[in-house]
Formats: sequence, structure tokens, C-alpha cells
Amino acid sequence: MPWSTRVSVTERGLGLRLVLARLWSRRAARTSLLLIVLLYAVALFAKQLAPYPPATQHDIVALKDRPPSAQHPFGTDFVSRDVLSRMLYGARVSLSVATLAVLLSVTIGLTYGLIAGYFGGRLDEVMMRLLDALLSIPRLLLLMAVLTLWTPAPLSALIILLGVTGWFSVSRLVRAEARSVRQRDFVAAAHALGARPHEIILRHLLPNVLAPVIVAATLGIANVIILEAGLSYLGIGTHEPTASWGSILRDGSDAFGTAWWLMVFPGLAILVTVLAFNTLGDALRDALDPRQLPGASTIPSTAEADIQRTLTPQRG
Amino acid sequence: MRTFRVSLLGVALVAACTTTDKTTSSGETGGTMVVAMPEPSNGLPPFIETGADRMVVDLLYDRLADMDTTLQTIGDKGFHGELARSWDWAPDSMSIAFHLDPRARWHDGQPVTAKDVKFSYDVFKDATVAPNVAPLITNLDSVTVRDSMTAVIWFHRRSPEQFYDGVYQVWIMPEHQLGAIPRAQLRTSEAVKHPIGSDRFKLARWETGQRIELIADTANYRGRAKLDRVIMRPITDFDAGVTQLFTGDADFFELLLPQYLPRVDSSKTVKAVPYPGFGYTFMGMNLNDPKSLKRPHPIFGDHATRLALSMAVDRKAMLQNVYGTNGKISYGPFPKSVVVADTALQLPPYDQARAKALLDSQGWKPGADGIRVKGGRRLEFGLVVPTSSRSRMTYAVLLQEAFKNVGAKVNIEQLDLNTFGQRQETRQFDAAMISYNTDPSPSGFKQTWSSSGIGKGGSNRVGYSNPKFDAMLDSSLASYDAAKAKQYASRAFQIEIDDAPGIWLYDVLNIAGAHKRLHITGLRADGWWNNLADWTIPANERIDRDRIPLNAGAR
Amino acid sequence: MQSLIVLVLVTTISFIIIRSAPGDPFSYESPNVSPAVRQQLRHQYGYDRPLLEQYVRYMSSVARGDLGYSIARHEPVTQSLAAALPNTLLLMGVALALSFVVGIGLGATQAAWKDSWFDRATSTVLLFFYSLPDFWLALAILLGLTYWLPLFPPGGTIDLVMHDYLPFWGRVGDRLKHLVLPVMTLVLLIAAAIARYQRAAMLEVLPLDFVRTARAKGLPERRVLARHALRNALLPVVTLLGLVLPSMVGGTVFVEKIFTWPGMGLLTVNAIDARDYDLVLAGVIVGGVMVAIGNFLSDLLYAVVDPRLRD
Repeated sequence: MPWSTRVSVTERGLGLRLVLARLWSRRAARTSLLLIVLLYAVALFAKQLAPYPPATQHDIVALKDRPPSAQHPFGTDFVSRDVLSRMLYGARVSLSVATLAVLLSVTIGLTYGLIAGYFGGRLDEVMMRLLDALLSIPRLLLLMAVLTLWTPAPLSALIILLGVTGWFSVSRLVRAEARSVRQRDFVAAAHALGARPHEIILRHLLPNVLAPVIVAATLGIANVIILEAGLSYLGIGTHEPTASWGSILRDGSDAFGTAWWLMVFPGLAILVTVLAFNTLGDALRDALDPRQLPGASTIPSTAEADIQRTLTPQRG
Repeated sequence: MRTFRVSLLGVALVAACTTTDKTTSSGETGGTMVVAMPEPSNGLPPFIETGADRMVVDLLYDRLADMDTTLQTIGDKGFHGELARSWDWAPDSMSIAFHLDPRARWHDGQPVTAKDVKFSYDVFKDATVAPNVAPLITNLDSVTVRDSMTAVIWFHRRSPEQFYDGVYQVWIMPEHQLGAIPRAQLRTSEAVKHPIGSDRFKLARWETGQRIELIADTANYRGRAKLDRVIMRPITDFDAGVTQLFTGDADFFELLLPQYLPRVDSSKTVKAVPYPGFGYTFMGMNLNDPKSLKRPHPIFGDHATRLALSMAVDRKAMLQNVYGTNGKISYGPFPKSVVVADTALQLPPYDQARAKALLDSQGWKPGADGIRVKGGRRLEFGLVVPTSSRSRMTYAVLLQEAFKNVGAKVNIEQLDLNTFGQRQETRQFDAAMISYNTDPSPSGFKQTWSSSGIGKGGSNRVGYSNPKFDAMLDSSLASYDAAKAKQYASRAFQIEIDDAPGIWLYDVLNIAGAHKRLHITGLRADGWWNNLADWTIPANERIDRDRIPLNAGAR
Repeated sequence: MQSLIVLVLVTTISFIIIRSAPGDPFSYESPNVSPAVRQQLRHQYGYDRPLLEQYVRYMSSVARGDLGYSIARHEPVTQSLAAALPNTLLLMGVALALSFVVGIGLGATQAAWKDSWFDRATSTVLLFFYSLPDFWLALAILLGLTYWLPLFPPGGTIDLVMHDYLPFWGRVGDRLKHLVLPVMTLVLLIAAAIARYQRAAMLEVLPLDFVRTARAKGLPERRVLARHALRNALLPVVTLLGLVLPSMVGGTVFVEKIFTWPGMGLLTVNAIDARDYDLVLAGVIVGGVMVAIGNFLSDLLYAVVDPRLRD
């Protein structure tokens, strides 16, 4: 596919301090970073924070579908479970599934992209063709088919599936970066000095492709959170009694008209979390953009992490 | 719970008064009703699988004779003729001759003859075509054609429910449409979506996934259906049905839950319609190992374990959670509405302390995570539940927590209805939320609970087998005396309850949501739709869709 | 052509995954079918053969245009697809067109008035919609506009009862009325993504030399923006088509399910639930085909819009 890129990278890569400073300077980025840290903390300490265990049915007769109250600040669900506790544990599930899945995606994507980008030629061509095909398969349909046909799938299977279906765009990104970095002098120099491929890949290519990957990973987490919520809403993500924000929505779906708390709280949680990750991702992209640094380059300006084409100016 | 009793004589009289003007709708006739329900898979009588299938068949096809609303299955007093205007018992009662109504016509105009009757019975008795029905009509030997208007059913022996066996399970199908199709290919033939019957509704069009439209058969020998048309709108889940009911897209939804009753009260268009039914739901425990059905189940094969699990369940509280004050608790492996029901039987009490003690005594010791272990095996099992039933899904979650409290771990498997049915039939489950819809006849219990019901052709999904139960049930079924029959049945049920192959949860609560303009009559427990042909929509209450003329959509 | 290879690969991969699922279509057939008949059907359709042979059989029948038989719907797969595909194309077509118009318009305007209150407010709103789960938005819209405020029908493409008896314009109106909610849901989500992208693209282009040149030449601002800046900024957005398409194929699944829109998404979802293997496979493949077409289109458009490549 025809596209072109103008990428050059400073030899030293980008200082971490500089990046963080630039992040911190923007209020939106600051807020989202703090929010995300808070969310991970909540997920980590869900057990300590939750007023009750998430699966306990307090009084299936008297406390079914109760609105928010002092004992149950987020109300109760159809089997009288405390929604706040379920939301906290749900944070743990949703965040860990998304983070682990994206880590997996990034790992596979990096490997695939670096190999294709470094070696080039025939191998690269074949790998890219395969990638095109994989990118063409509708991810959601494939996930639904596999999760339904091989039911019930444990959480680990869900994470692996999400990870294995999400690496395609990352690898395209990486391969593009790797290809251009490979052309640079310092790589040719290393080659001449007798450095082995894996040394070149790990020592020179990898650090320089990390920037867009980090952005992609952040936005990817946002994406997987929505995806997992959707799958759990359909009943094929998490299984009873495990709480995830999507499954709380599922549990409450027939009471939506009357039990607004079952729809609003999980929806809000997903929205806020995804918002935070998206904002952070945007901010990271700006922060990691070495355009304002000496040795200018342009990281492809994207609204979606998996688009890596850039503009080329038009004369006239 | 209100029950609807309709004088069948009244219904018969109304049916007999045919309107003189048959092509236009005036006065009492007319109107369009939209029913939201799961999609029927086909329209041929031998292949009925779901309630939706049964509704289509009941509306399009006739039997030789049908039951009154009393649903008395012993003898023939509780029946009225449909295709058969009258019948004669042979002096030795080994055969019954049915005299067909000469006015009866198929929807394509052909006359209904005794050949059609013989054809239909032959098809239904063929176990390769209709394996679910064939075992129910083993008492039928054959059907012969005496003349074009008389068919004779021959029996192997006399029995109290001989007449019921003879007429209830078989709908009469047209031999000229289906006779030429090889039996093995009937199921996949085009005919399944082009049913031709003789009842007061006929098929207008069948559009998979979109609608099944039935219209009144204006030339019908028993009088046209009052409504002009009935449209079945397929829905795949409960929420869609409820939404359509309350937005007015559908006029009838059969599965309303009590939690929607407040919404009904405040609705200007929807009313709640309770109706009788024969369904009961229980958590069945597979007595055999699904991996190898000859062996006992590693957990449920032990009676004390089953009993302990039964005692861990607060059935009354669960009923209140799901059904509020409208719930009907189960009294055993039968619905309360069946004639032999007994509400005084002894069920396992709700006693978690005793349950735990019983499990301890069986060697199930609590493990590190609270789940009991015996000889290396965890007290952990799967519970399959169909996604189509909101109440069963809720019960599954309630049961899961109840069992956790006594140290058992349950993995809930939510399956779509078809897969759920398949897993039941092949007995590939540990525990299952089973809902049986029995026939009016207690002989159905033979299918579901006797030893002969295990395996192909039967419905004994958990593999329950107790010769004492079998003997007691047989005695009940052999009694011509209704009181004795009930006594024997009670004893049989108590034996079964003591064996605890299942946890008896609730009778299926039937509340439908219907549009207020529908005048509903004759609700029968074996299908609310059985007298649909007599429902009306008064002229002054009609809305847009009722004004569509009868022949406008004819194709 | 490369696309063909991609298609073959898509089909192969999907086939392997779905055919290796436990069970086969005939395990889940109606219990009324006896095991002997089931075995016979299995043999007839080749399900008792090794996977490789099944693959060859399948590919050759696909080449002949036979995509198999839908067990649940009792009809050939191609018939089910033919019924559902036009509905999805209609929904996607309208939604995409609107999304691009709205998205490009918003994004370009935002870039032109960068950092104004309009820009900031719009960015926030767009970010909000971009971060919403699609199924939640659909549920909220369904609840809000069919139940709380009964303004629109809750689902379907037409009023099943009345449609055939309406006059021509009545029928058009009926179809439009049913399109509103699903399209609205999709547009809110997609236009947000497109606008964000367009804004970024415009911002890249605006400070560039040729734009400044155009301004220096004294051209009216509107012309500068529309003719020079936008045209260049359109490039990446146009290529977005190729990438929005795959997420649309998946993205319409929830919308179709919640609004019971009888398109490919709902068809495939129901097929998955019903273990209707052939139809599931066909659904995934068609999805892949649509994506491949989208990519092809986007490459084509790229070539058209970028004169550099035209020479």
C-alpha cells in the first residue's frame, strides 16, 4: 500500500524526564494520569476498599434491586448484591484484563514488526500479506464466535484471545518505524562493526520504535476495556459470579427503566476510564513527539493508534 | 390466581355460527394481532420442538378431536370433535371409528379424507421421523380406512386414557402435499415453511427472521377465525419482547415477569393476563457421569450428597426474589395444575446446618478455599441454563451462592435454547435448570421420570431410575378410578422426592402482557393460544393495523 | 491481485478456527432427528472427513458460489446473506456518509478556529462520545427515545404490519423513521473519531508553507482553507475509510442487536448463538471481504486525492 513517512529519530531517543515534564504541563494530561493511577490503585486494593464481598447476596427478598442507600451507596442488583463492591472488583477485572491483553498484543506486535522491519525483502512481504489478512477479519465477530463455541472460557483464555487478536496494528506501526530506522547511518555502522541482527534489533531499533508503541498501548487499553465490557454484556466475557463493568450492565438490563443505578454507574465508570486512557494517549503522543526537539521528526499524527500514514505536503 | 373457565358449549355455539359474509370483516370479526415470541423453526406437526412451533401447529392444523378446558384425560367425555364429527367405539373397545366432517377442507381447497388421517398417523408412529411422539402412541396399533369419510384407529389394549392417546398427539396433515416426500427428507424439505392445514387460521406468509403471518380461513368448516390476522414477530431475547409490548409494536407477549406488573399498571395500553400452564422447573442432577453414562456421577451419584444440596436451598426466598408475591412454589416433580398433583408431600427442608453436617458425614471436607474435597475430587460442578429464560438464569445465580455457603462451587454455563436442549438430550451436563411442560395426561411422567424414559425417545434427562417408582406410576396409570390414580401417583412422587434427583423450585408462572383492546377467551393450560380463533377486537377499539383488509395481504 | 490473496487467507484462517470448534452443525440439530439420520447428514456434508479434505471441499464450493446450508434458518447460506446484506449496507452507507460529512466539517472548523471556545468545547464533547462504549450508547438511546420519550420505533427496518399497506411516501417515511436511531448511534461514535483525526490533520497542514503562500497571495481565507488546506488534509482522512470499515463491521454488531436491525451483524450473532456453523463462517468471511474492499477503495481514493502518485 502506498504511503510515505518522514521519520528521523535522535540517536539518544527521548529523555524520560522530558516526556514526563511535558505531560505534566498540560492539565488534561495531568488529570488523566492521576485518574489512571487512582484506578489502578482501586483495582489493586479492591478487597480492602469494598464494603462487602462482591458475590454476597445480602437478602434476596428484601434487598433486591434497591436504589442507592447508606448501606449500599450504589444500590443493589437483582440478587441483592452490593453494586459498589461489584464495581470495585469489576475495576480489577476490567483493568487487569485490558492491561494484560494489551501487554500481550504489544509483545507480539513488537516482535513481528521488528522482524519484518529489520529483515525486509521477501520475508517482510509475506509477513505483511499475512498481516493484511489478519487485519481484515472482524475482531469482534471472531471473538464472539470463539468465546461462544468454546464456552465457557476462563478469564485467562479471554485475556489471551483479546491479546492475540489485537497485535496486528501495533506490528504495522512497528514495522514502519523499524524500516526507516534501519536505513540510518548508525545502524549501518553497527552492522559494519559486526553486530548481530538481534543485537541491532534490541539495542538500536527497539528503543526508537517504543514511542508510538506506548501511545498505541495506552489507546489500546481504552479499546479493550470497551471490548471486554461489550463481551461481558453479551454474557461471553466474564461469567457469574465474577463482576466486570459489562456484566453489571448485563445483570441490570431488564431493570434499566426503573433501576437507573444499574445502568448509570457501570456506564459512567467505563466512560471515565476510557476517557482517561484516551486523553493520556493523546497527551503521550504530543509529549513523545520529538518535533519540537532538535533533530526534528514527526511521529505520525493519529487519532487512532493503528493509523500510521502521514501527510506529505502538496505543492501549489 | 385467576383461572379462566369457559363454557365449552358456549365456544362451540359461537364457532358453529358462521358469519354469512365471509370475505369482509364486520362486526365481531376483524383485527390484526401481533405476537412477540421466539421464532418457530418449522410448521410441520411431527417436528414440534418449542412452544412457538406448537402454537403454529395448533393454529393451522386440526386433530380428530380436541380437549375441553377441563382437560380430563380419562375416557372421552372431556373431548369435542374437530375433524371428526362423531365417533363410535367398537363393542370390544379395541378400535374407534371416526366419522369425518364432510365439510372439512384443506387450506388449498382439497377435501379432507380418511386417507389423510391414515397418512398422518403413519408418519407420527414412525420413530425415525417423530422420535418424541412415537413412544407416546405405542398403544396405537394402526389406522385403517373404512371409506373416504371414516378412519378407524386400532389399539393394542384397553386403557383409561385410550381415547386421549388416540387423538391428542396427532394432528392431521394433507397426504396430497406431504405424501410424495420421502420421510427422511421431510424435515429439511420446503414444506416445513409452507404448512397446509384445515384449522380456522391459514398461513399467509412465512418470512424467516421477519414474520410468520396467519390469516383467517374464511371458508372454514367450523367457521372462520374471528381475527383477520395473527402475526408472529420473532424475538431472540426477553428484553426485545418486553420493549415491543410496551411500545405497542406487539400486542401479546407470553412471558412477562412480575417485576413488570407496576409498569403494566401505569400503562395505558397493556394489561396483564394470567393463564394456566403445565410447566414446572427444577434443578436436575445428572445421576450418571456425562463422560461415561454407564457410570454413576462422581458427585450426584451419591444420594446423601444430593439431599444435602437440596437442603442448602431456601426455595421460598428464591421464589420471592424472582416472582415476588405471585410465585407458585413447586410441590414436587409435577405442576400443581395436573390432576394427580399432591401438595402435601414431604420435601427436604431448608436447613444449611444439616446440609453441611450431611456433607461432612459423606467425607466432603472443606478445603483451603472453602470448597469441599473428597478423595481428591472437589465438590465442583457445572450448571447449564438457557439464556432465553430470565427466571432460570436468576435462579442459577441464586443457587450458585446458596451452594457456595455449604462449600460447593458451581460453574454456570449460559447457553442458547437450542444448545441447551441438545445438551439435555444427550445428557452432557452435571446439573441443569430443567423446565418440563407436561401434557395434560399423567402418562407424560413415564416419559420424564420412569426407567423407560431414559435414553432415546424418552425425556428422563437426569437418568432417574427406581423400580418402586415405576411400579407405583404404572399402577396409577392403569386405574380407571380417578381417586385411586391420584393415590398411587402421590406415593410414586413421594418415593421420587425422597430420592432427590432434583431440587423442585417453582411452577412456571404464566403472566402474559396483552394489549387492552384484545378480548381474550378460553385460555387453556396446554397452550394459551388454543382458542385464539375466538379472540376478538371490538370495532370501537381498533387501531391502524386492525383496519388492514383481510385479503389485502393475500399472496 | 493482492486483495485476492488476502481474501483467500481470510477465508482459510476463519475456516480453520470455526471448523475446529467442538461439535459440528449436526450435533446441534433438532433432537427430533435420529442419530442415524444425523450421521448420514454428517457424511453427506463431509463433516466426518479430515480437516484438510473439508477445507478443499469448502473452498471449491465457495468458488462455485455455494456457501453451505443454514441449519437454523432452513435455507441456503447465500439466501440468508442476500436478505441481510442490503440492510447492513444501507445502515453502514448512511452512517458512514453522515459521519464523514459531519466529522470532516467539525474537524476542519475546529482546526480553523483552534483554541477558541468552540474548539475546546467540541473537543471535549467529541472525546466524550469517542470514549463511550457503543453498546451502552445504543442502550441509552433505545431507552431514552423509545421508552421515556416514545418518539421512534424500537427496532426493525420497517413496521412489519403496516408497511406493505402504506402509500409510497408512507413507506419511505417508515423506513426513514426506523433508520434514525441506529444511524444516530453510529454517527455519534464514528463522527467523533473522524473529527478528531481531521482536526489533527488540518493542524498539520495549516502552518505549512504552501498555505502561507496562498494567504500571502491574497486569496480569501475560505478559499485557502477549503481548497488548499482541506484538500491536503483530506488525504489521511480518506484513507481512514479503509480502517473505519473493519471496526464498522464489528461496530454494527451491537447496534444491530440492540435495535434488532436485520443485517449481517445480527445474522452472524444469531448464527453464533445457534451454532449455525456454515452461516457463522460465511458471516466472518463476508466481514473480511467488506474490509478488503474498504482497503482497496481507500487505496484508490488515496491515489486520486494525492496527485503526486498520479504522475
